[in-house]
Amino acid sequence: MDLFIAIFTGTIVAATPLVLAALGELVVEKSGVLNLGIEGMMLTGAALAFGVALAGLPLPLAIVAGVAGGAASSMLFGVLALTFLTNQYAAGLALAIFGSGLSAMIGNGFGNTPIAALGTLHIPVLSDIPLVGPLIFRFDILVYFSLFMVVFIGWFLYRTKAGLVLRTIGESPQSAHAIGYPVVRIRYLAVLFGGAMAGLAGAYLSVVYTPLWVENMTAGRGWIALALVVFSTWRPYRVLLGAWLFGGMTILQLQGQVLGIALPSELLSALPYLATIVVLVIISRNRQMLALNFPASLAKPFRPAG
Amino acid sequence: MIKTTRRQFLKYGAVGAAIGATGFPSILRAAEPLKIGQVNASPAAEIGWAKQHALGIDAIKAEFGDKVAVTVIDNIFMPQDAERVFRELASAGNKLIFGTSFSLGTPMQKVAPRFPKVAFEHCSGIVHLPNLGTFEAKYYEGAYVAGAAAGYMSKAGKIGFVGGFPIPDIVGPANAILLGAQSVNPKATCNVVFLNSWYDPGKEKEAALALLSQGCDVVCGMTDTGTCVQVAGEKGAWSIGYASDLAKFAPEFHLTAFMMDWTSDYVRAAKGVADGTWKSEERWDGLKAGVVKLAPFNKKIPAEAQAKLVQLEADIGSGKVHPYAGEIKDQDGKVRVPAGAMLSDKDIRATNWLVAGMSGKLA
Repeated sequence: MDLFIAIFTGTIVAATPLVLAALGELVVEKSGVLNLGIEGMMLTGAALAFGVALAGLPLPLAIVAGVAGGAASSMLFGVLALTFLTNQYAAGLALAIFGSGLSAMIGNGFGNTPIAALGTLHIPVLSDIPLVGPLIFRFDILVYFSLFMVVFIGWFLYRTKAGLVLRTIGESPQSAHAIGYPVVRIRYLAVLFGGAMAGLAGAYLSVVYTPLWVENMTAGRGWIALALVVFSTWRPYRVLLGAWLFGGMTILQLQGQVLGIALPSELLSALPYLATIVVLVIISRNRQMLALNFPASLAKPFRPAG
Repeated sequence: MIKTTRRQFLKYGAVGAAIGATGFPSILRAAEPLKIGQVNASPAAEIGWAKQHALGIDAIKAEFGDKVAVTVIDNIFMPQDAERVFRELASAGNKLIFGTSFSLGTPMQKVAPRFPKVAFEHCSGIVHLPNLGTFEAKYYEGAYVAGAAAGYMSKAGKIGFVGGFPIPDIVGPANAILLGAQSVNPKATCNVVFLNSWYDPGKEKEAALALLSQGCDVVCGMTDTGTCVQVAGEKGAWSIGYASDLAKFAPEFHLTAFMMDWTSDYVRAAKGVADGTWKSEERWDGLKAGVVKLAPFNKKIPAEAQAKLVQLEADIGSGKVHPYAGEIKDQDGKVRVPAGAMLSDKDIRATNWLVAGMSGKLA
């Protein structure tokens, strides 16, 4: 039973940075913008958050710094892609590379010094219920926040007028512009939100999860988040599902190695990727559904006429 | 800037051919600083592999002061970049160039013959040329002592090991840790997890948690961060550090660390080049030469056990105890080292099997 709890809680926690970063990117892409720079924004957020925590400031402030760092770095992409209308793929890649360099510079000197991590919650009574307590009521607050954000973004995109406008801009910016919506401004806000979420994901890694700073510590999670958005066919709940699946397979393969399963570790290490691809491809087999959810103007620059 | 004419180039070629046999002519003139270069595959860090190599450069600086000018280039992972970087360093007049990762071997082997007057030193390399020497540490000597410490302190007798890739340089020390533990507690076992990644603190944490959740009460991570030590400490389990002293990540629970100290290799190479006696060597040193060291033992280890560990360290250094002395069986029960024999150096550097008591599978 302890093993089950370890696998379950490990999965949820490992998936959290992916959920956060992927949700941010989902909103960005729903507005018709493709920002490939998640990895760079996560790293910037991670470095800043860790720096603030290392300076002895309270952890909530460190997390805010991470969010701000991610948001600020996303504006670099925003200006290039939305104001100067450069190729979004190129601008996003530039941000990914720039962010990893910038974070290395910010983090120079923080290296490998431990800090106290953000603790997990302990709710009186609830956290002490056998089984249910450790399974549901003993995470850190950002885990609950990430789950809330899944619901919130699902509601925002599909149940509010603002969400409808955002989706419209992602489908046909010309139409949205014609009926008077400030397309570029809304896209800027979406990019800013995506950056903030990526920064939060980075901060989660550096001050909550590991908690330490090493160069390139995100180790490709930004790219996995990006892939999750596509494979989940731009649906928030599927992002959560995909992230859990990926996190769960990662934990399971490690547990499997410890158990001494007679499979090469290379194959086990590849399992999370294989499983996530297989399951999400099966889910998104429905072409109509895919066409319905794909933002038609994704990565196409928009210049307001006149 | 040195301009090379074709005639000079041919002359250097001839000189280079002679150098292998005659050793280096004195290159260091009184006023001119000796230029030394270092190329690292990973980013600069404050602990771990990269840090220990930075300490080597620091030792040269301390020894020679302003008589040396050092250029360090980090984060050169791709071989095609590395070749260019080595060529540039050699062209810029560096007389001694260190490459600090196995992956830099091929580029060094390509560049070295073109600069026969430059001394190249490759850490963990396996190929030697007249002007390309190698140096490596006997990790297993330190790992064996650290494993013995784990043997004394582990209640469950279950050690957890996190490695980057299942390659000999990682598998060997993992074996040595278990053999060390079994020298104290014959029933000790070890679970290994390979991340198949050099650099992913998140995954290191998940691996350490997986080991702890399955009952291991000592964790060793042969990776470049303090994550495993930190995670074990949080869960109240012992840990063994690698490369640097990682006690600060869990002062209460860090048993010891098997560390590398390359300073002697660095200073010796620099001295050799400075006075013209440098030769291409194949150095493989351990506890005796001080290239492998153990971090101070945790105070919670009983004094009696500590005394035995210190003795073990001395005995391995003097050659009285050999970590790979027979009889050693592998996972499948096959005798790999018969009683009374020792594993040969060549076999140690090519370890691709796990000793009995290991769980986990190599490809």
